[in-house]
Amino acid sequence: MLVQGNRRLTSDIWVLDLVGEFPYDKVTPGQFVHVLIGDGTAHPLRRPISIASCDPVGKTLSLVYRVVGDGTKWMRERRPGETIDVLGPLGHGFPAPQRPGPVLIVGGGVGVPPLYQLAKVLHAQNVELDIVLGFKDHGDVFWADEFGKLGHVTICTEDGSVGRPGFVTEALGDDRDWATLYSCGPRSMLKALKTHFQGTDIQGYVSLEERMACGIGACWGCTCENADQSEARRICKDGPVFSWEEIQL
Amino acid sequence: MSVDLRVNLGSLSLKNPVMPASGCFGFGREYSEYYSLSALGAVVVKATTLHPRLGNPTPRVSEVTSGMLNAIGLANPGLENVLSEELPWLARQDVPIIVNVAGDTMDDYCQVVDRICQSGLAHAIELNVSCPNVQLGGLAFGVEAAVLRNLVEAVRTVCTLPLFVKLSPNVTRIQDLAIAAASGGADGLSLINTLIGMKIDLNTRRPVLANRTGGLSGRAIKPVAVRMVHDVAKEVRLPIIGMGGIYTGHDAAEFVMAGAWAVEVGTANFTDPYACPRIIEELRSFMEAEGIKNIEEIRGSAL
Repeated sequence: MLVQGNRRLTSDIWVLDLVGEFPYDKVTPGQFVHVLIGDGTAHPLRRPISIASCDPVGKTLSLVYRVVGDGTKWMRERRPGETIDVLGPLGHGFPAPQRPGPVLIVGGGVGVPPLYQLAKVLHAQNVELDIVLGFKDHGDVFWADEFGKLGHVTICTEDGSVGRPGFVTEALGDDRDWATLYSCGPRSMLKALKTHFQGTDIQGYVSLEERMACGIGACWGCTCENADQSEARRICKDGPVFSWEEIQL
Repeated sequence: MSVDLRVNLGSLSLKNPVMPASGCFGFGREYSEYYSLSALGAVVVKATTLHPRLGNPTPRVSEVTSGMLNAIGLANPGLENVLSEELPWLARQDVPIIVNVAGDTMDDYCQVVDRICQSGLAHAIELNVSCPNVQLGGLAFGVEAAVLRNLVEAVRTVCTLPLFVKLSPNVTRIQDLAIAAASGGADGLSLINTLIGMKIDLNTRRPVLANRTGGLSGRAIKPVAVRMVHDVAKEVRLPIIGMGGIYTGHDAAEFVMAGAWAVEVGTANFTDPYACPRIIEELRSFMEAEGIKNIEEIRGSAL
């Protein structure tokens, strides 16, 4: 695909806008693409990056990524007009809400991006959205305004430098009766959310992250265990989104 | 000029010498969404064990320069599921099936090989001997000649299909293991399995893989693999399936020149899901350009 833009959002988080041939219509929120780094010679493994925004009409795809290693450093250096090889969309994204009622979206750090496409889709369906986004500090916050157009947003930072101080679970009151929760972020956050909502009938969906090789379910590199730990689930193929009852968090 | 890519590995006839390597291709379902598996010489399926295995804790894959480390730990759905779900599906894809078999004990190997042969769903067996031998305190079956020979002899008594033994490179002299497999009754050899490696995360100061060590594969190991195929081909007159960092038709040709009769492609599938059919076409183009009518013309040219 053709690089249209590549901008810094925070000190280490960037957004890459791509245009060109892509099966935009097939994208469900929460899916990812597998990005080839260079020509793949030095970097044989593609990098799984979640789809932050997908516009089938304007034919654009946005990927938000944190620069952590050689692969994402290469992505950061891409300039408009260059092409990159992306495979996708891959995996199973967030299912539609199974029952009516307000939806809670909780994102942490670089887990926030796939929730943006989800929020756009749900907002277009007139679903009422409460969105809680957790970041390390004020310099880490991105897309608060964009999310603000789609629902009621609460920002939390670990150091309290902006929004509510503390973790996202501390920002969740007991006054709302959410039907569905969608979340993506650190495993510790997902666990805390599941504990927080234990005993309620909220339906929770979580998106998991793991180092991947093939990205399509063939190599069994990125697995997690099902709820009773009897079978493996492939995060790239069976996930990355799972019902939180289905897996061992 | 038309070139003939067909190759006979003993009694196993393949329409071309390129097949995906075990562990890199599942049981074929995923890549069949990208191309027809009938284009392949054969499919070598994921290592199958008597009982289902979840494998090692994650992270269990990591990239290194021009290669990758994996410590999947032979995760697979187990023999019963492979026989009832995976092989029947793959058998409908019009491609020869080579079942890679692993085990903790000699008896495990024999039971699995016996059942696979009796199922009538497979065309050949590839024995994975890089697994730890539980009865010998976890030392791999494939690192001591006498142990390997015993295993191959035992499996041979129940194996009615062509039997390939996949050799580990983590040995002093791979030829000695090749000779042991041959004298145990192997019909062919495949090499090399992965080289044991490690990567350390400078931030955590700990190994990246939860298992600490993992098998190194990809372009980084190609010269080692070519050398080992050459060394084995010089001493053992059995069909050899060569592998280790094959990404292009030229790479495949290089293995053939080193003495391989066919090749397996592993890590390249992850970089390019179309790697196998592309390599077949590149090999065809190379042979056309070089005026090579039959792959046998260049087999072992470097020996």
